[in-house]
Amino acid sequence: MPRSPIRSLSFRARSVALPALSHALLAVLPARAQVAPPAAPPPARHATIALDARLATDAGIRLGDLVVVAAAPGIPGDTLRVAAFVRRGADPSEVARAEYRVRMHLADLQRVLGYGDRVDRFAIATRDSAATTRAIAGINAAAFGFRAHRSRDIAIETSRTFAVISRFHKAIGVITIGASAIFLLCIMLMKVEERRRDVAALRLVGLSAASVVRAVVIEAALVSVIGSGAGVVLGAVASRLVNAWYQQLYRTPLTFSLVTPGIVGFAVALSVVLGLAAGVLAARRLVRTPPLALLGR
Amino acid sequence: MSGGLSGGASGAAAAGEVVLSARDVHRDYQLAGETVHAVRGISLEVRAGDWVALVGPSGCGKSTLLNLLGAIDRPTSGTIAVRGRDIAALRDRDATAFRLRHVGFVFQRFYLMPQLSALENIELPMAEAGVARAERRARARELLAYVGLDARERHRPAELSGGEQQRAAIARALANRPAFLLADEPTGELDAATGAGIIALFARLNAAGTTIVVVTHDGDLARAARRVIHLRDGHVVNEVHA
Repeated sequence: MPRSPIRSLSFRARSVALPALSHALLAVLPARAQVAPPAAPPPARHATIALDARLATDAGIRLGDLVVVAAAPGIPGDTLRVAAFVRRGADPSEVARAEYRVRMHLADLQRVLGYGDRVDRFAIATRDSAATTRAIAGINAAAFGFRAHRSRDIAIETSRTFAVISRFHKAIGVITIGASAIFLLCIMLMKVEERRRDVAALRLVGLSAASVVRAVVIEAALVSVIGSGAGVVLGAVASRLVNAWYQQLYRTPLTFSLVTPGIVGFAVALSVVLGLAAGVLAARRLVRTPPLALLGR
Repeated sequence: MSGGLSGGASGAAAAGEVVLSARDVHRDYQLAGETVHAVRGISLEVRAGDWVALVGPSGCGKSTLLNLLGAIDRPTSGTIAVRGRDIAALRDRDATAFRLRHVGFVFQRFYLMPQLSALENIELPMAEAGVARAERRARARELLAYVGLDARERHRPAELSGGEQQRAAIARALANRPAFLLADEPTGELDAATGAGIIALFARLNAAGTTIVVVTHDGDLARAARRVIHLRDGHVVNEVHA
């Protein structure tokens, strides 16, 4: 089947963000792609549009293709040339959303949507914090019906849910590490218990209690450090796999799993401290038991 | 196997000197609320160069007596002296230090450290005693050569046969030149031929002046000793000199 030279895109606009410059690119949500026969022969020069890379992939659209863009299905629209593809940003609030995004020049967008000069939201770039304060005060005083906010405050407000999720994940991480550490403690105690006879022999041969404790604790420290190192490597590899899997699944550059120096430091420190504690506990228990009792006599 | 050992296998003592003596030694245990009299008033002397075998049926008190002689256990009453020094009342820490420098132990099940090579196992008591690395390595090699394991110094216990492990254990027991060697059933885990090799090694050590006290059920080992002390119910019932 021959590939259609023109595709039709229709939009149902929920919100439009208008930058101060009239030729800035805009984001429109959501968008549905439809493939339809061309409404009219294309003019020699077309306005351009940037399509969501996922839409381009899903609809088989390539750079230079012509698309018909309309505000709703079944109504006439403008024919635009695909000039660029837009990839989604690393925004957790968009991960699970299936909508496609396109970017158009403001004049084209206004014409397609029939919005005229009406805007719901707009953003202003300022030079510094003082200019931002002045702009907020000016807009709130002059533009009736609008309320200006700092982008930082909006970001904080909209990311509150993710902050809670992040804390939740941290709690799960701490519980996991804590449980693993207790497991390590038990393993260490069991391993040392397995060597009761060796320790008894060392004591009978004449090794002091301090030497036995030192040997067990050094071994415990080594096991902890090596185990932590292996855990960090395993965690980093698992993190990469998780990110690779979910990034391709959701087609987003969002980082789902992070192994930060803070997490590594915390895990290693906890592991070493608990490993040492296990070693000291196990060793003290052994050296307090008479060697003959360790030999079962 | 190579010939002799520089500086002797064990600590220097004049031939015939009493290195170990027990006077009216008792050892009682509390077991399930009842008092068990494991050793009942045993007295004996072991002189430098002696080779004493303690024999008797199971439960007669021979291992308990060996533990008392080696400062592993404390008597309920009586005195035990090594070269005139009373060891019966030593605190645990002092008893451990005493064993390190004056007593060589050989166990039935060898008890070599599985992570260490044969050479390192022999170095272990010397390291604990503060012997310099070069010196202890030379001594360990000399001992390994003496017991016929010079080609196995890098082998770990799991890579050695039972007889080789026991030879390494004997070398370890001699590391700090102890006053005497105590061995608890040293051939108990070995087949007859391998056991014969261990007996021959003990004979060679004793001929070189090492004082040996051995607990055994092995008739061949007992017959090789110079003195055989028969125990029964915690008493010495008979003593035979070769």
